[in-house]
Amino acid sequence: MNKKSDPKPELDLKGALELSPSPERIPVTIRERYGHFIGGKFHDGTDDSLFETVNPATGEVLAHVAAATEAEVDKAVASARAAHTKVWGKMSGAERGKYLYRIARRMQEKSRELSAIETRDNGKPIRETRDVDIPLACAHFFYYAGWADKLEYALPGRQARSLGVAAQVIPWNFPLLMAAWKLAPALATGNTVVLKPAETTPLTAMFLAEILQEVDLPPGVVNIVNGAGATGGALVGHGDVDKVAFTGSTNVGRIIMRQIAGTKKKATMELGGKGAQIVFADAALDQAVEGTINGIFFNQGHVCCAGSRLLLEESIAEAFMERLQRRVETLRIGDPLDKNTDVGAINSAEQFATVQRYIDIGRSEGAKVWQGSATAVPDKGYFIPPTILSGMQQSDTCVREEIFGPVLSVLTFRTPDEAVKKANDSEYGLAAGVWSEKTSKLFEVAHRLNAGIVWANGYNLFDPASPFGGIRHSGFGREGGIAGLWPYLEVA
Amino acid sequence: MSRLSIEKTVKQYVGGKFIRSESGRVMASTGSDGRTVFVPQGSRKDLRDAVRIARKAQGAWAARTAYNRGQILYRLAEMLDGRSLPTSEADAIAAVDRAVHHAGWSDKITALLSTLNPVSGTYVNYSRIRPLGVLVVVPDPADGLLGMVEAACTCAVMSNSCILVVDASLGELAAAFSEALHTSDLPGGVVNVLTGNASELLAVASIHDDIDGLLLYGEQPDLAELQTEAAHVMRRIVQRTSATPAATPIELQQLAEVQTVWMSAYEPQGGAAVY
Repeated sequence: MNKKSDPKPELDLKGALELSPSPERIPVTIRERYGHFIGGKFHDGTDDSLFETVNPATGEVLAHVAAATEAEVDKAVASARAAHTKVWGKMSGAERGKYLYRIARRMQEKSRELSAIETRDNGKPIRETRDVDIPLACAHFFYYAGWADKLEYALPGRQARSLGVAAQVIPWNFPLLMAAWKLAPALATGNTVVLKPAETTPLTAMFLAEILQEVDLPPGVVNIVNGAGATGGALVGHGDVDKVAFTGSTNVGRIIMRQIAGTKKKATMELGGKGAQIVFADAALDQAVEGTINGIFFNQGHVCCAGSRLLLEESIAEAFMERLQRRVETLRIGDPLDKNTDVGAINSAEQFATVQRYIDIGRSEGAKVWQGSATAVPDKGYFIPPTILSGMQQSDTCVREEIFGPVLSVLTFRTPDEAVKKANDSEYGLAAGVWSEKTSKLFEVAHRLNAGIVWANGYNLFDPASPFGGIRHSGFGREGGIAGLWPYLEVA
Repeated sequence: MSRLSIEKTVKQYVGGKFIRSESGRVMASTGSDGRTVFVPQGSRKDLRDAVRIARKAQGAWAARTAYNRGQILYRLAEMLDGRSLPTSEADAIAAVDRAVHHAGWSDKITALLSTLNPVSGTYVNYSRIRPLGVLVVVPDPADGLLGMVEAACTCAVMSNSCILVVDASLGELAAAFSEALHTSDLPGGVVNVLTGNASELLAVASIHDDIDGLLLYGEQPDLAELQTEAAHVMRRIVQRTSATPAATPIELQQLAEVQTVWMSAYEPQGGAAVY
């Protein structure tokens, strides 16, 4: 019989599997310069507003992009208004739906190119863009296409109508997917849109604009303006916008809500989070390890609902950490275009600095910092290996604030009550996970968690049929499912 | 010789108790018999106390069965019906009928607003509605008793607790309504009634971080300020033009949050991407 001090027999997985590089080689055309997509046409934008979009894995400049001026934003909103009044708002739901189906199909056909562009522009592994981002973006259009002619069933007992022009501002973490989350329900419900992609990831939205042209979407139904905060501010503050939909940080969400205070604009805010991942001793531990990794290292942790707080039942904490670290040491960090890569690049120099700063804060507050990966961290580009902070207190900065990077904070608990209390002790309320093989415990804990989404024995699962969105400082409004229609409709 | 009438002291209703304002302040208002009544002028501290009490009451209220909550709200209708209320007969009747109407939603609204979502994966995925939490509610004085009943019942039927802030001009009616609440088996703290200057109390509510929502009826001159302050905690602000039509299901939904649960149905899968 093994004594406790005996080393456990283990396969040495780290570096056990040497893999040849397997880069995605599909040729993609990225133009040197992008402007805006207004009224069904591409516009160059102004020369003095150009900024670069960079491949964060290499530092290579991918394209120059113009930031929209107030005049250009105004033109885009006017174009959306005209399209709503003259075409889209009057079109039958069935016809609108057919356009959305067309978009979904064309995106599916071009999914390989979209994945390759997204991975270059964002830095996330091709495996994720190929298997998650792009297929889900297509699925959102396909899902909401089917709603367009069924809106009379969306509001119980009431006739629904569109709001008008929606201003949509999206983040850089899932560029095309967030565009789809925003556009699909807005278009299905008969609204027209001015979309502003994030300034570090504008490319797939411009590629989508080409698709919209190809499928003959009526001009002005979707307009896309590029730029950073100033453009976004001009867009959400525009007087002829009826609806503002934003995904991004809680701080920017606050700025937008203050900006539109006192107006009749309706809003949806999908903001930050500090998701708790509760693992009970009676969980299937290997699956919980996988779920923990999916929760925090998926997309380099650039996920608003990331499971960035791991709460372990004390009796299994040590053993779980061993399994977790062993598994993390098999994750391959490196070239995002390589199909073997698990962990890609941090999206920008700015975010890279933010994540590093939080790791430093964690260390200075007494956390034990552990980092692991199967491959060496590339010496160029913005890469941070999977990072686990242990020995944490509930009051530590890295337990309370959203880091938006591959950094997991670990805490322990003794009872379900304590787990729920710790999980709920956050200003945020976006998502949480709970792991147990006891169903009654899963239901009880899931329903007690103050979060808009709870995954029971899973994490970071998304589906167009499943409403997504937070409570408290994580925002309001839902995207996905029937609830995703409500923010874009009013009672007729 | 005519009998000398009893002048009833108008009080606020917090945590199941009839209280004066801690400030000791009162506002003069005209009672239903034309005589002057003195209505407590709710203070910042009254509101803070009420929020604390409402927060405590909310969890236990939501934990009751929907059937039980429905019966209690129906009991409120019973307690209002036939009571001597300082309002018009039409208002009293409408208010009683409204309480009956909302009582009936209690064990049905969840079925109407929840969904079972067919996701691609081995999960049973459902979206349920759960309460917002603690709301501060300002009924429109023009809506009379109906306004108070509509506000209180819509909050309570969605398992929230609330603090009604009633204009001093309706202080006497608010006190009468509170008596009905008190005798209706509604647990203390679920519906609380403060009286006084509504905009003064709203200004306090709008910087109180433990208030989840504001439910406002009629025109709100301070709306821009309230929304600006609400941005800090993403406080929900729900506006209604009038209490005359009962809140529809989709309006009741605004007093709740949608929570989506992915419940593993088969073997645990790990997550989205497969590492």
